[in-house]
Amino acid sequence: MALIEVYNLKKTYQIGTVDVPALRGVTFSIDPGEFVAVMGPSGSGKSTLMNIIGCLDKPTSGKYILDGKDVSRLSDWARAEIRNSKLGFVFQSFNLLPRMTALANTLLPMLYGSRRRNRKAAREALEAVGLAHRLHHTPMQMSGGEQQRVAIARALVNNPPIILGDEPTGNLDTATGREIMAIFRKLNEDGKTIIIVTHELDIARYARRILRFRDGLLESDEPVVD
Amino acid sequence: MGIIDAIRTGLSELWSHKLRSALTMLGVIFGVAAVIAMVSIGEGAKQETLEQIKRMGIDVVHVRRAVIAGELLEKAQERSPYGLTYGDAERLRSVMSFAKQVVPVREVFANVKIEEKPVSVKVVGTIPGYEEVTHSLVERGRFLRWIDISENRPVCVLGAAAKRELFGFDDPIGKMIKIERRKFRVVGQMQAKEIGAAKAFAALRDLNSDVYIPITISMTDFQIFTQQAVPATMQTLREMYQRMRSRQARDKTPISEVIIQVENESATVPAASIIRSVLNRAHRGIRDYEIIIPAELLRQSQETQRIFNIVMAAIASISLLVGGIGIMNIMLATVSQRTREIGIRRCVGATRWDIIRQFMLEALVITCIGGTIGIFAGIGGAHAIADYAKWRTVVSVQAVVISFSVAALVGVIFGLYPAVRAAMVDPIEALRYG
Repeated sequence: MALIEVYNLKKTYQIGTVDVPALRGVTFSIDPGEFVAVMGPSGSGKSTLMNIIGCLDKPTSGKYILDGKDVSRLSDWARAEIRNSKLGFVFQSFNLLPRMTALANTLLPMLYGSRRRNRKAAREALEAVGLAHRLHHTPMQMSGGEQQRVAIARALVNNPPIILGDEPTGNLDTATGREIMAIFRKLNEDGKTIIIVTHELDIARYARRILRFRDGLLESDEPVVD
Repeated sequence: MGIIDAIRTGLSELWSHKLRSALTMLGVIFGVAAVIAMVSIGEGAKQETLEQIKRMGIDVVHVRRAVIAGELLEKAQERSPYGLTYGDAERLRSVMSFAKQVVPVREVFANVKIEEKPVSVKVVGTIPGYEEVTHSLVERGRFLRWIDISENRPVCVLGAAAKRELFGFDDPIGKMIKIERRKFRVVGQMQAKEIGAAKAFAALRDLNSDVYIPITISMTDFQIFTQQAVPATMQTLREMYQRMRSRQARDKTPISEVIIQVENESATVPAASIIRSVLNRAHRGIRDYEIIIPAELLRQSQETQRIFNIVMAAIASISLLVGGIGIMNIMLATVSQRTREIGIRRCVGATRWDIIRQFMLEALVITCIGGTIGIFAGIGGAHAIADYAKWRTVVSVQAVVISFSVAALVGVIFGLYPAVRAAMVDPIEALRYG
């Protein structure tokens, strides 16, 4: 059974009195354990799609079925719970809390939802991304690559099935970007479903499947051939 | 997010902006301190008045000669020419069998001399029991006795200030003083009586410069002291001697005051209404006397004091309100500064309610810390005022509890709007921001 299914997904923004379509009817599904790259020029609707998949936004129409459940019309409270337990986010600009240590940042998702705070799990998540020696450093004291690793550890700490990456290598140099992508690939091999948005084909080739968007429509959906 | 985590987050947020937090707190500190200090001053004043009045006695009713003038004067001369009289006192005594004491008082015009040196004291004719109704105590010797009254003995008792004027630090007992042309032997001396603020509330005289003589002598030998001074003419003197001759004449002798002591404070008001009806008949409707009930005056003054205290507390509360506005201002700034943080927290699973609670708790932590410091500042302030201005201040638990609760409430009210603003932040916008 597919982990993520979207049917005829549409999203229209209202800017003043003008309706601006961002997604104009998109249908696809992603199975558990897939590693998918979403590509497309700016304005193609890929960010909007990621916001909807990430339960940060609701579609105007269409269905979004996550893990067998239609989540497109859920309340704020229920969507927060899904973000907390089923999704992990990694951003281009890391989005760590600047005054908190790596450990405290990693613990953040555990403050919300029904889970009890578990320092051990946070430590393990940081170890998994190779930051066992940086637990008590703040983001200011870390390199970009290290910060992104903390962000990945934070995304992992509640053990969600899906990790979403919004241009996770966009602010990193090529070498560091590759290290990060290696981590994503490792996570995928361990069973996580990973969806990343990227501009760069080099990065997209780490995935096993590429979805290309243009003008709010799915342009192509093809596997990556090595 | 658990409450503990939220409070910890709030504290660390405050700690990371120490100056800003301190300045914000200052508003609350001043507010709470001002309320506590103000209420303490009010409470102190109230207790002081209460104690003083109690010292003066609140189980009494004073009936005092009143000055009448104008149109009423003519009618008064016809119907009740003598005003308050010794007869009135006798009448009240016979009607009010339940009264503990009925004591007539006659203040007279009389110059007092010691070794031909004039002294400014007030000569008052009265009877035994006066010391009880005025809650005075004898320091040395004795007060007047019934035998002094019945035998017209020329003896006198000195108030504390009068004694000092006349004899300095010497023992006055057995010594003679001259009141007008008559010599009086000093038989007693009263303890000093503090009067203070009670004087204004209960319209009481300062008793310390009194010289007490038997009322009988004051009626036969001296002229009553009134606001409308009448010089001693031959006619008034003749009237005076006529008064001596018959009991009926004595009944018509004007006196200054009758003090009626009853069982307790609550009996004063019913006693006053009996007095009013007795005197109304005797004086044929002329109100040439006034009835003063210290217990009533006390009640009124307490009411005034209570309103005054509320007004003071309300004024002090304004600073608490201003403190609250300061909190709101800072919290709004904080929210817009931390938009990104809000976005991150929302993204990892915080609900709107989690965000509201976090910011509300931050505001509450500021006011609670500020409130606690304010309580100590207020208590310190009250002590400082007590020391510096020599006012009595009483810090009541009630004031502390109320001002702290109001501060906390201010935190909730003024923290609410910024917190709701924070919760309304769109996480997508927030993450793109900055």
